[in-house]
Amino acid sequence: MTSRTRGLWDRYRSASPVTIALLALVLGLVVGAVIIVATTPAILNAWRGAFHSWGAPGHALKVTFDNVGAAYRSIVTGSIVDPPQFWHSVTTGRGWTASLTPLSETLTYAIPLVIASIAVGITFQTGLFNIGANGQAILGGVTGVAVATLVHLPTVIHLPLTLLAGIAGGVVGGAIPGLLKAYTGAHEVIVTLMFNYVASYFMLFCLLSTPLQLPNQTNAISRTMPGGTQLAPLFGTASGLRVNYGIVVALAVTVFALWLLDRSSIGFEFRVTGANPHAARASGINARRTLVTSFLISGGLAGLAGVTWVAGTTHYIDQNFLQGSAGIGFTAITVSLLGRNRPIGIVWGSLLFAALEVGGSNMQANTGIPYDLATVIQSAIVIFVATPVLVKEIFRLRALRAESVKVATAGWGS
Amino acid sequence: MRLELRGITKKFGSLTANDHIDLVVEPGQIHCLLGENGAGKSTLMNVLFGLLQADEGEILIDGEPVRLANSGDAVRRGIGMVHQHFMLVPVFTVAENVVLGFEPTRSLDRLDYARAREDIRSVSREFGLEVDPDAVVESLPIGLQQRVEIIKALGHDAQLLILDEPTAVLTPQEADALMTIMRSLAASGKSILFISHKLKEVRQVSDVITVIRAGRVIGSVPPSATEGELAAMMVGREVSLVVEKTAAAPAEPVLEVRDLVVRDDRGLAVVDGVSLEVRAGEIVALAGVQGNGQTELVEAITGLRHVESGTVRLAGRDVTNRSPREILDAGLGHIPEDRQRDGVVLSMSVADNMVLNTPRRAPFARRGTRNLRAVRDNAETLVESFDVRTSSVDAPLSSLSGGNQQKVIVARELSRPLEALVASQPTRGLDVGSIEYVHREIVRVRDEGHAVLIVSSELDEVMALGDRVAVMFQGRITGVVDPSTSREDVGLLMTGSVPAESR
Amino acid sequence: MTALAADAVAKVRQPLGRTQAIGWFVIVVGLFTVFGMGVGTGSAPRSTLTFTPIDVSHGAPWHLGNLTLPTEWTLVLLGAVIVGLGAEVLVRRLVKGAMVRVGLMAIVFLLAVLVWASRQPGPSQVPFINLTAILVGSAAITMILIYGSLSGILCERAGVVNIAIEGQFLGGYLVGEMIDSATNNWLLATVGGVVIGALMGWLLAFLAIRYLSDQIIVGVVIVTMFTGLASYFNSWVLTPYPNLNNGNIASNLAIPGLMKIPIIGPTFFDETGYFYLMMGLVGLVSFGLFRTRWGLRVRAVGEHPQAAASVGISVERTRYINVILGGAVAGVGGVAFAAIQGQFTPSITSGFGYIALAAMIFGRWRPSGAVAACTLFGVSAYLAYNLQSYQVPISTEILLMFPYLITIAVSAGLVGRVRPPAADGIPYSRE
Repeated sequence: MTSRTRGLWDRYRSASPVTIALLALVLGLVVGAVIIVATTPAILNAWRGAFHSWGAPGHALKVTFDNVGAAYRSIVTGSIVDPPQFWHSVTTGRGWTASLTPLSETLTYAIPLVIASIAVGITFQTGLFNIGANGQAILGGVTGVAVATLVHLPTVIHLPLTLLAGIAGGVVGGAIPGLLKAYTGAHEVIVTLMFNYVASYFMLFCLLSTPLQLPNQTNAISRTMPGGTQLAPLFGTASGLRVNYGIVVALAVTVFALWLLDRSSIGFEFRVTGANPHAARASGINARRTLVTSFLISGGLAGLAGVTWVAGTTHYIDQNFLQGSAGIGFTAITVSLLGRNRPIGIVWGSLLFAALEVGGSNMQANTGIPYDLATVIQSAIVIFVATPVLVKEIFRLRALRAESVKVATAGWGS
Repeated sequence: MRLELRGITKKFGSLTANDHIDLVVEPGQIHCLLGENGAGKSTLMNVLFGLLQADEGEILIDGEPVRLANSGDAVRRGIGMVHQHFMLVPVFTVAENVVLGFEPTRSLDRLDYARAREDIRSVSREFGLEVDPDAVVESLPIGLQQRVEIIKALGHDAQLLILDEPTAVLTPQEADALMTIMRSLAASGKSILFISHKLKEVRQVSDVITVIRAGRVIGSVPPSATEGELAAMMVGREVSLVVEKTAAAPAEPVLEVRDLVVRDDRGLAVVDGVSLEVRAGEIVALAGVQGNGQTELVEAITGLRHVESGTVRLAGRDVTNRSPREILDAGLGHIPEDRQRDGVVLSMSVADNMVLNTPRRAPFARRGTRNLRAVRDNAETLVESFDVRTSSVDAPLSSLSGGNQQKVIVARELSRPLEALVASQPTRGLDVGSIEYVHREIVRVRDEGHAVLIVSSELDEVMALGDRVAVMFQGRITGVVDPSTSREDVGLLMTGSVPAESR
Repeated sequence: MTALAADAVAKVRQPLGRTQAIGWFVIVVGLFTVFGMGVGTGSAPRSTLTFTPIDVSHGAPWHLGNLTLPTEWTLVLLGAVIVGLGAEVLVRRLVKGAMVRVGLMAIVFLLAVLVWASRQPGPSQVPFINLTAILVGSAAITMILIYGSLSGILCERAGVVNIAIEGQFLGGYLVGEMIDSATNNWLLATVGGVVIGALMGWLLAFLAIRYLSDQIIVGVVIVTMFTGLASYFNSWVLTPYPNLNNGNIASNLAIPGLMKIPIIGPTFFDETGYFYLMMGLVGLVSFGLFRTRWGLRVRAVGEHPQAAASVGISVERTRYINVILGGAVAGVGGVAFAAIQGQFTPSITSGFGYIALAAMIFGRWRPSGAVAACTLFGVSAYLAYNLQSYQVPISTEILLMFPYLITIAVSAGLVGRVRPPAADGIPYSRE
């Protein structure tokens, strides 16, 4: 028995998670390419004509590669660096803003994503599924903006207080599923899913019917956060680069999460509970307290993600705040799974997914292909990461039935 | 039916579970397959029932080689199996369970319940196995559920019945009734393959006994072989079922349970007024057939289940309905019944498992931050002193054998400051070496002056280990006796009747 | 691994205590209706109920007079009904039926709010409540939810959690709308919905059954993926080709004779084909699951897959078939959505797939129960959406939260009262 399980374990490790993640990225891009091919008129027309004359298939192939290539090239140039532009800056010393904007944007988008994904990852580690990070982030944004705009304080305490208010808003959002699950057993998946909608309507309510609304407005739009409560651009407003001091918040959250999960007693209890709730109970871990704490921390961080985004970029919220494809909650779930719920993995995953989103917008601007393709690619990547065996089979790695993504959720477990 | 296995070999990775097994079951014969847990009996049965495919060898039915790709094939060939964990859908009726997979239907694919009932009644009549076809299975007692399993096999026209550890969940009286049924089935021409590791019942009912060990057939003997001979064949050396220990020196009561009433998940009072006292320096062994409230009693003592009424006192403190945390801290060691479920986290390291229930205690943590060095040092020490075989204290617990996993739990529990130890089924599924080790450690705890409560459904273990033996039946203690009491009398207590001499 | 605290909580749970809490809660709502809303309005105002369908294109064959009621006493009566529901829970110690009473309470309470809001003289612009219109409107939402619940039942009875219903709705909606716009043929659109739903079901089955992935996670990711894909399609295909997104709303197929029954006729017998198809499916799934050999095997696979396998039933095959069937049903639900709603927009399904899943749980994994639960949700949702038009002094946004809040409340009250198929959500592996 011993040698058998140990053998399995070693072999499982041999195709490392990083390898799997990279291969999943490749597969995700392939899926994206297939979708582009199947839906882009220019390509389809080229292929329609491909069988009528000699040489046309070659032409069709070229059209295909040109289109897909252009799309993916714009993703890269829009999110990391555009080499000609960069070379221009290096040689002439000018246009640095344009050269660095892609990277700056990727980092800007990665900031809230890191925080929200860590929020989701913490609940995953506890065996809980927080699908409500988006709603919690919305609440965090609303409370943060409220404190920033409706309270007048010196900057030194106003900014921290704004961030704390964001955390508090998220904590409320996390407390609802946490307490309901602990004291009534309500399944957190349904509660958090529904809560996302409740939070969105609550935000609309605040934007339309409370002093949070920009005075003399009928639209759903908030007052603007005063300068002292904003997270300033890292390189100054004059730089034109949006990357801001939120990056410090994201790093602090990462360090906190590393301590929490690896070094803290409560984090140990989270992980025991997540891996084996029965053993957790028998070991004297208070299941209720653990799950409520996990949800409170998770909600608080999600709220922080919301307020960090507002304070660092838009400085106000409107009816589109974190709505639809601008939502952060589902992306955070995918990032957390991609990063195997570990803080460092999540940071890398956030950078990748933020790059896909930023690059996706650039792709839309350059080629017209909608940036929603980024969401599809992200989801495909996560599906592949969640089924490593499938990836191994596709790439003819040592095929082996191994554990799929190690997260414990349940049936409706009443 | 005449069944012959030739050279059956089944490997899992580097482990050979079955190694060229040859076996012949003659028509009308009760053939016993005797072996320890882990000897390869269940693997062989799964091969025979089509649930696993053999790597080598062939199966012959009435002289003709057959291929059993799945259990449906096996059933069609006339092989029926009564599984150790019943293959019954709890929320279905008896009739639905019996016909599942071979349903009589009317038009539109509708189930023909009338015919299903009739089929069951005819099997019941033929073999004297009464059961209500419309009863919902989960509402039936275990003995009757097993009867449903047998009817299910017979209903599918089984000529060979495989019974996998059928007595593990039965009272001695129910087990006797099963033996009678087995004999009458054999008399009517059915062949029976009976799997067990209990020497007594094997000798009682079998026509032939085949012993397997470590995946190989050691030999076949007639039932006239003595228990000692059989035991020696099973484990490969002369074993003493006696645990080496001196007479107990009981002192003051440490663990006191008084008038305890505990309900199970369905709200039934499965512990119904139990009073029990365990003194420092003695081992009280709680005997009884599984499912008579022992599990719930232990859960109540350890704080895992709500106590309806009554009290639990530990070293003079009332710990009734305290949290598991408080009870652990009050000095109760607990070796849980289902160790992989309640005792360890398989995906975590040996070191983390060693502090599973003391993660916040100094020196393992200070002000909420863990001291990983102290955790590792602790594990290194315990691995050394408790002889846990592991590649490293950082290895995940899942990489350890069952016996070594249990040693991790024992080491963890015994290294904490203890008042009393509660051990449930402490040697279930372990190899002989580990069993002896765990028994020695339990006696050592007693000799250090702690109170020890052992719960076991293995009568041999109870009688060998206990200084006093308490017997539990249907939520009550039916008697507390000396371990020198005869097995028959303890067996009677396990059925709720009071033996003649202690009346 | 199961959700952690659920069974920990279950062990110390005292069902009666919670039942009492629910009973008192209902009574408080009832008292609020009587004293907060009823008595406060004074004796002058009147509320009017009408029954003639708004859509008289078929020529309303009947006309019931208006029913004008004294607002105060009507509210007192409705409040008393709610108090009665609460008292029943307390007195009869209803454990199983408690949540049904809560659902009924929600409907009666919303009706009371309508009566209160439409009082004349009062603030309302709409001086009457059209009961028939409420029922007809609720029937549409209810139908969508029932498609989703049936999909969930088919999957979960076989042991696979299908949380991707929301995505299957979206897929069915998009494909159905495109095909209808292009061909003006709802039959083809339905076939398209079946195909896309089945494909999405297959994807879930493939990942959950073959690769033993966590079903909830895979389901959520599938929803995310198809939400993205739908947005992508919307801007890349539908926007440049608007004639792919301009389908008509399906016309009703009135059943001669039956449609003439007052109130019931327009609600049940003057509906789109999808409504009748839904009723047929409810009967078919009910019959299939509980009367046939197929159903017995499916339920065995969902309750105890090892037992099913031990008698030669292929667990994998059964699960594949059911999840694909379930996907197809949800896909048709998406087409039905398009048929009553018209143009596609990316967030059009607004969580209905998840609400349908909650309704399935509420209905104890039975078609009949799911129908009842979906009706509760459907009527409440419709009322909540339409209270706006009565100038109720509650913000629209707060009212719109109502369907989601009631889903949360119900799922909080349910636990311990329902028992899912034993192997629901648990991957099956042979060894």
